Amino acid sequence: MSATLQYLVNGLVYSGVIVLASIGLSLVYSIRGFANFAHGDTMTVGAYAALLAFSGTSALLVGGGNATAGGGLAGLLGGPAAFVVALAVGMVVAAIVAIASERLVYSKLDTSAVGLLIASIGVAFVMRAIVQILFGNIQQAYALPRSGPLPGFGALGVAVTARDVVVVVATIALVAALHVLLQYTSLGRQMRATSDNRDLARASGIRTNRIVDATWAIGAGLAGAGGVFLGLSLRLQPLMGFNLLLVVFAAVILGGIGSVYGAMIGGLVIGVIHELVPALSTYGVPINAQYANTVAFLIMVAILLLRPRGIMGEAV
Amino acid sequence: MTNPIRAWYAGLTDAESNVAWSVGVLFVLFVLGVASGVINLSYGLYLLALAGMYVLLSLGLNVHWGYAGLIDFSVAAFWGLGAYGTALVSARDSPLGFTVDPIVGLVVGLALAAAVAVIIGIPTLRLRSDYLAIATLGLAEVIRSVINNQSTWTNGPSGILGLPLFFGTWPILGDVPRGAPTYALDVCLVAVFVGVTYWALRRLHLSPWGRTVRTIRADEDLAEALGKNAFRFKMEAFVVGCVVMALAGVFYAHLQLAITPGALDPTQTFYVWIAVILGGSGSNRGAFFGGLVLVLIVQGTRFLGGVLPSNFPSAAVRLLVIGVLIIAVMYARQEGVLPAQHELITPGTTEGNDE
Amino acid sequence: MSDDAIADGPVTGKPDPVLEVRGLEKAFGGLQVTDDVDLDVERGTITGLIGPNGAGKSTLFNLVSGFYEPDGGTVRVNGTAVTGAEPHAVANAGLVRTFQTPRKLEGMTVREAMLVGPQHQTGESVLSVFTNRGQVVAEERANLERAMETLERFEIARFADTPATELSGGQMKLVELARATMTDPDILLLDEPIAGVNPTLANKLKGFIRDLNDDGITFLVIEHDMDFIMDLADPIVVLDQGSVLVEGDPGSVRTDDRVIDAYLGGPLDE
Repeated sequence: MSATLQYLVNGLVYSGVIVLASIGLSLVYSIRGFANFAHGDTMTVGAYAALLAFSGTSALLVGGGNATAGGGLAGLLGGPAAFVVALAVGMVVAAIVAIASERLVYSKLDTSAVGLLIASIGVAFVMRAIVQILFGNIQQAYALPRSGPLPGFGALGVAVTARDVVVVVATIALVAALHVLLQYTSLGRQMRATSDNRDLARASGIRTNRIVDATWAIGAGLAGAGGVFLGLSLRLQPLMGFNLLLVVFAAVILGGIGSVYGAMIGGLVIGVIHELVPALSTYGVPINAQYANTVAFLIMVAILLLRPRGIMGEAV
Repeated sequence: MTNPIRAWYAGLTDAESNVAWSVGVLFVLFVLGVASGVINLSYGLYLLALAGMYVLLSLGLNVHWGYAGLIDFSVAAFWGLGAYGTALVSARDSPLGFTVDPIVGLVVGLALAAAVAVIIGIPTLRLRSDYLAIATLGLAEVIRSVINNQSTWTNGPSGILGLPLFFGTWPILGDVPRGAPTYALDVCLVAVFVGVTYWALRRLHLSPWGRTVRTIRADEDLAEALGKNAFRFKMEAFVVGCVVMALAGVFYAHLQLAITPGALDPTQTFYVWIAVILGGSGSNRGAFFGGLVLVLIVQGTRFLGGVLPSNFPSAAVRLLVIGVLIIAVMYARQEGVLPAQHELITPGTTEGNDE
Repeated sequence: MSDDAIADGPVTGKPDPVLEVRGLEKAFGGLQVTDDVDLDVERGTITGLIGPNGAGKSTLFNLVSGFYEPDGGTVRVNGTAVTGAEPHAVANAGLVRTFQTPRKLEGMTVREAMLVGPQHQTGESVLSVFTNRGQVVAEERANLERAMETLERFEIARFADTPATELSGGQMKLVELARATMTDPDILLLDEPIAGVNPTLANKLKGFIRDLNDDGITFLVIEHDMDFIMDLADPIVVLDQGSVLVEGDPGSVRTDDRVIDAYLGGPLDE
């Protein structure tokens, strides 16, 4: 039982990453109308930008080379505080890169959704190549101390690290912020209007180009955060985002492509299922833990067949 | 005497003559390189064989995307199925524990790909085009994952080694010394594969079948309204293309004499995509040209990696070049370098289109 | 036809209907767009289908031709049930439709587009392309000859080699009609054949439709231009709020109070 609970906890953490990535993918689809294959690599860009910022900031905060101490006030600031700065940098850089890709590539193309999809593969390759050239093809990690399981959760028989808590809490905070933005601000209303009908939105005075920029910024910013959290709970490597892309697509399609709230639920479900696959064998289902992705993809294909608009979309 | 050639050249469009020139110049450079010893003869022949393989892959994807408009992101998987199909039945190290002649392996590889194509096609080919892209990429990953994890059938991540040369058991051809002579045989083999495939696909394309498939690509509703079973035609196009990709895989397995799951990396799929859209979707000549350019990019950046300092990130540069090329083609010339020009009417039916 | 010039609701039980629709139902998101529609199209007629915007005319076309799946009811073509069948199966049964906006075939010439029409071509089979070359070529030659004759009949033979994307909307309408006849349909459903077509060409189209009707093709035509449809078609079926309001000859329909009310009292010729 506690093993299953542990998988569930892992699933929640993984879901945080998937949810953040799914929202962005779905958001861009709803406003821009194409499946963005560069979204995974946008996560990677965010993660690596944060890596760069983190080493810079912690060096600055701790005051040069004296970072090894790891204790005292400097250590506290050098760790969590620098990480918050790094997270922000990762989100902003991902957003800038995404807006640049819209301005330099997508908006210049006179093509169909399929043409944009293919172009996005080119954009993905360029992003990944630049990450590889700058950071090398090796695994890296944020230089934060890895703490053991938090004692408070021990009674439940599960191991929860501080990193896990950070990912889950930050995801909830970001999702809540997005909800407020979409529902209660003028930008959010304009985004929803543009998503429903771009021509109508433009005719009613909404500056849709600005909405498109905002969409890219928000979608990529969240993806960047997802990338940082992925790097935090695992490690960083140039393929990290791309390898996650299909799972993210599975989540988005489960929730209904183009639906932001669907993406949240789809991300949660797919993330938890993904991590529960190993638990299945303890219930007598003989399945290799390596098939976690496979299960997610098969769910995706099944949804495409049975309910192509997803669980949150209207049935056809 | 020179009239046919001159007439052929005069009939070319600007783009075609440019392409003919660049292919010609490259070929001359290549021959000079080999003759002068700058390019090792074995390596040179190996490159030619690899070029043939990429041409096959491009021809296969061209059936999917160029003919039928299917966004298929499972190229690497079907290529891998061909390779694994033949490796499993012909390799010394096959976990199945028996070996047959590579000719049988060829048949097994193609049949395996055709069967899997049908199984994957049934759920996916009714999907909208962007969903098809995602679904095929996902199912390709499922195939890769199965090959990676079902070690008892496939040897898992370590792959299958000890494949025989394609002509290994043949009289005379089986006895040529390893190295340049066997690579020369490989070049001949792939030339036959490419020739037969090109001929067959051309005949298929310039026919009522090709025309119907093109109609479905342009407007599926219209094709259905005119009584064409779009799903059936898409399925046929999908299977034909997958079999051609598997043929490339069979050839590759007997060229490298080994196959590992790493070869099924989806990046390979996108390499083939750039070949097809660069060459011109729907045009076999374009796919042929795109395949040649692709080997130039892939092997060219490897070659640079060998010449330049060892810390030169050749894989990343290759990725960068291909990424920029994809964007550039979408930006500058969406129809590709050698776009389709033929009316899809069976040759010999009208004056003007018989060749 | 009975002597009654106009009937309340549809006239059913005709002697030789090509198309029989019974109790057809379709709702979208709670809105009943097609509500218990009965309809007979008698062989050899040109039947007009009119009704105010939103009456459900296009939905009915889509249901009958297999593009929408009905929630209930039956559709028969030449006595064969095709309810819920895929569009190509409906076309194979003898019912072929055109679309409101002409479909342009990217990368195809006009004669190529025409050659898509003929049904069950031997060369549509992957195997036959290789094994039955002689027959494929012979059929292709015959089809091409027929395509050219058809294009000449429709006075558009000069466009045979023109890319379909370069034609004007009106010319494309002609090609659509010409191509549809290549399928040898028993009944042709035309969705606004003269929308966006200049008056001269519209008159020509009217003549072509009559000629084809004389050759034995039955027509069911949606058209908003009242003068055109009243002159061309008999009987006229009026659809309102998803069901058949009346059916009758053009003169009676034109002056029927219920029809005028359905069009919000406005004059029909508008």
